[in-house]
Amino acid sequence: MKTKITRREAGALVGGAVAGAFAPGLAQAQGKQIVIGGLYPLSGANAQIGVDAKHAYDTALDVINNKHDLDLPLAKTEGLPNLSGAKLAMTFADHQSDPQKGRAEAERLITQDKVVALIGTYQSAVANTASVAAERYSIPFLGADTSSPSLHRRGLKFFFRAAPHDEMFTQTMFDFFDDLKKKGKPVQSIALFYEDTIFGADSANVQRKLAGEKGIKVVADIKYRSNSPSLTAEVQQLKAANAQVLMPSSYTTDAILLMKTMAELGYKPPAILAQDAGFSEQTLFNAIGAQGEGVMTRSTFSLDLAQKKPSVGKVNELFKARSGKDLNDLTARQFTAAMIMADAINRSKTGEPQAIRDALAATDLPGDQTIMPWRRVKFDENGQNNDCTPVLLQRRGDKYVTVFPAEYAVADVVWS
Amino acid sequence: MASAFELRRRNQLIIAAAVVAVMIALPLGIKDVYIQNILVLTVMYAALSQSWNILSGYCGQISLGHALYFGIGAYASTLLFVKFGIIPWFGMAAGGIFAAAIALIVGWPCFRLGGHYFTIATIVLAEIGLILFLNWSYAGEASGLQIPVSGDSWTTFTFLRSKLPYYYFALGLAAVVWLVTYFIEDSKWGYYWRAVRENTLAAQSLGVQVFRSKMAAAAVSAFFTAIGGSFYAQFVSYIDPDSVMVFQFSLLMALPAVIGGIGTLWGPAVGAAILIPLTELTRSYMGGGGKGFDLIFYGAVIMIIALARPEGLLSLVTRTRPAPP
Amino acid sequence: MLTAENISQILMSGLLMGLIYALIAAGLSLIFGLMDVVNFAHGEFLMTAMYATFGLVVVLSLDPLILSPIVAAIMFVVGAFCYRGIIVHAMRARTNVGMVQVFATFGLAIVIRGLAQFAFTPDYRSIPKSWLGGQTLSLFGVYMPAPQLAGALASLLAFGALWLLMKKTDFGRALEATREDAGAVGLVGIDRNRVFAMGWGLGAALVGLAGAILSIFYYIHPDVGGPFALIAYVTVALGGFGSVFGALAAGVIVGIVEAISATVLQPSMKAIGIYAVYLLVVFLRPRGLFGH
Repeated sequence: MKTKITRREAGALVGGAVAGAFAPGLAQAQGKQIVIGGLYPLSGANAQIGVDAKHAYDTALDVINNKHDLDLPLAKTEGLPNLSGAKLAMTFADHQSDPQKGRAEAERLITQDKVVALIGTYQSAVANTASVAAERYSIPFLGADTSSPSLHRRGLKFFFRAAPHDEMFTQTMFDFFDDLKKKGKPVQSIALFYEDTIFGADSANVQRKLAGEKGIKVVADIKYRSNSPSLTAEVQQLKAANAQVLMPSSYTTDAILLMKTMAELGYKPPAILAQDAGFSEQTLFNAIGAQGEGVMTRSTFSLDLAQKKPSVGKVNELFKARSGKDLNDLTARQFTAAMIMADAINRSKTGEPQAIRDALAATDLPGDQTIMPWRRVKFDENGQNNDCTPVLLQRRGDKYVTVFPAEYAVADVVWS
Repeated sequence: MASAFELRRRNQLIIAAAVVAVMIALPLGIKDVYIQNILVLTVMYAALSQSWNILSGYCGQISLGHALYFGIGAYASTLLFVKFGIIPWFGMAAGGIFAAAIALIVGWPCFRLGGHYFTIATIVLAEIGLILFLNWSYAGEASGLQIPVSGDSWTTFTFLRSKLPYYYFALGLAAVVWLVTYFIEDSKWGYYWRAVRENTLAAQSLGVQVFRSKMAAAAVSAFFTAIGGSFYAQFVSYIDPDSVMVFQFSLLMALPAVIGGIGTLWGPAVGAAILIPLTELTRSYMGGGGKGFDLIFYGAVIMIIALARPEGLLSLVTRTRPAPP
Repeated sequence: MLTAENISQILMSGLLMGLIYALIAAGLSLIFGLMDVVNFAHGEFLMTAMYATFGLVVVLSLDPLILSPIVAAIMFVVGAFCYRGIIVHAMRARTNVGMVQVFATFGLAIVIRGLAQFAFTPDYRSIPKSWLGGQTLSLFGVYMPAPQLAGALASLLAFGALWLLMKKTDFGRALEATREDAGAVGLVGIDRNRVFAMGWGLGAALVGLAGAILSIFYYIHPDVGGPFALIAYVTVALGGFGSVFGALAAGVIVGIVEAISATVLQPSMKAIGIYAVYLLVVFLRPRGLFGH
């Protein structure tokens, strides 16, 4: 009886494969189309990230495939001009934040959906396995929103990352401290508060190292279990340490709990400088209200760039029409990744993975043709873009404003 | 009676041989790597669930903490490979033996607990393991460990694109665990275990060494679970505590046996053959929307099977037979 | 840096959180004691209650505190419905009853999570303004957050009411009798299924109360139940399966141990303290603190 069931199962499997293979075939019948794959968590604790990412990518596809009056590559044309106006499409897969599933979905997108490139993945652990799969199939992989520094140090030929990694982000924070020192407001002590994940560990390791180099005292070094039911004890330790700057590396859930617990225990540090993640989410500030005033975070993006770049405001409107939210650090990076990938596909002329990889490697996009505060997009031999300056934002009222570095700042930092 | 029983035992072996033959031939017709990946996972979970079944199905000690042994296996072989260059085949054996030793050490106090107290203890032990690995800097903490893959090699058990070597290894493991279960079923230990499961007190009064029976079942079960963990580490070539030691794995090892038929020879395989493709296909073809349809569907299937077929799906095709005398 | 003030703060925070853990665990313990079922969807009941509170706050613009009885009532219906619709079938299983119940409720948990994601999207929600949110009482330098204080009081009141219900009402006596011997109660005219359904309703109502208060200071999300559920299982087992008041004592112990081990160990390892206490207790007393 076992054989019978096995055969029936095999039938179901083949059926699934046929259904999967059928989808792009159908699309091709409607006109030439280039498909890239997006790997995101679409169920589980981080599902909202994937849902928002889809809106960001759909916005990018709209800009690429239709005529828009924006100073961005491919905006003014319909489709990809070098590929006789072929449209760009994306197909998404759910990796559920699991490295094994991420790899399986990457392989499925590559072999069944015939995607010519992959973008993803939010979690660095998933990017790790998915990018190795891409490498083995010689498919370019663009890390849109993964920030672990280890990712571009594995000698992969098909891995690219346009956005900063955690070391660059943290460097900017300490550059900011140097700047304060020059202004006669030196930072003496910091408290590290980070979750027990790759993100938390990478972030804290660099912060600890740079603090040591600059002679800033780390008065609390607190690693916590992510998604804990309570952070009361942790906040008590932060309060007792009483650092001048609290530097949290936390996702949305823990960021909300941290801030609420701080309010409950009467702890208000002189300054908070966050490693993005939860602190870039509007959800957090909806939850904590006025307590958010003055909170700082590192970022790759800020909405007030619209004052200097008109395209930022227009893209934000397009995104908001889809998602009901403003662009944030993550969704702006995702949008930009799609634009960079589309530009490379267009320059590849053939739309073949190897040609796209070479085109990506040759990318030299001036910063003003992105919605980011970056000098340019140009990948080094490891596939990392080193010309993407992070910025520091500070909360004013119901929005973030850019306060550092000076060339992008629209306001002076409020620092007590 | 005895001859009918032996005939049935022989039939089981013939069925098993036929199933293995079909499974060996299966990838020859299926070239799609995504489906091959599902096949690898299915066979791996059949092996893992069968290992779980030895302790929880046959001996009746419900463990929801087998992720501990799975993780120990994954980390043992990977640490030995990455830090000392010991090839994974030795690492696998070491991981299996180490996990069995751990099972005996924690089994010594735990097997005095009954029912739910035991089950919660297994959950708690696996959580302790997870937290320790998340804070163990030598093992990479949350960043985990990367297995270097230079090319296709049986020596280091790494392959770039092909899933088939992994598939055949997992199939071999499933076959071995099946055979071990098969022989144990008809051995002194098999009788002891069933006796312990059915009625611990009665078993004790009949002279069954209850405690030693449980310990033996735990050691065998942990050994094969750890081998599965080492295999998984090689298969994915990257491990971190959150992807090999979480509670979810403990459930995923128990589910196929429960769905297929707990404490039966074929239950875990049947359960895995249904559950794993279902899990993978619902995620791939229903999960892309982020609307939760995949969860609703997957949860409902588990619930309905558990309610409609408490004995497991296997009971649809076999009449419930009394256990051998 | 352990001053007397610090130590009292640690103990106070642990006590408050512990009472909330006890309230979450109470329903689980009640259901288990009544019919020997471990409800694996308990965390999802908590999550449902939190979404119910959130929805009511948005629609009615009332404070979560006022809404908490309504949420408890809603959860009573949800719990009773779960029993009638699902658990009653699981009870009919003739073989491996325990596993059937575990996995039927596990399947239910996944379905509820999927439904929550479908209905509310996976976005994180929270209740921005409430009477107690962000308020705190300070006594000799020891802070007592108002929402947690309310949770702790609600927990004590709920356990008190539960005690009265069990000892002083007919329903409580029926509950007790059914727990002692589910077969025999049929002979004296008690409808076993009705008592079980009420038990499930009551268990869910207790976790509903916990959810309403938790939503004042916690985020709301389809996966929010997980970490609380694990603590609830350990709490119930530590107190002893079947002993509702064991859960109260165990909840307080868990809360205080957690607060202490976050200080003594690394905070990322604080759960180990709870787990170690559980293992230690059951190794010495295999039926928990108050189990029978």
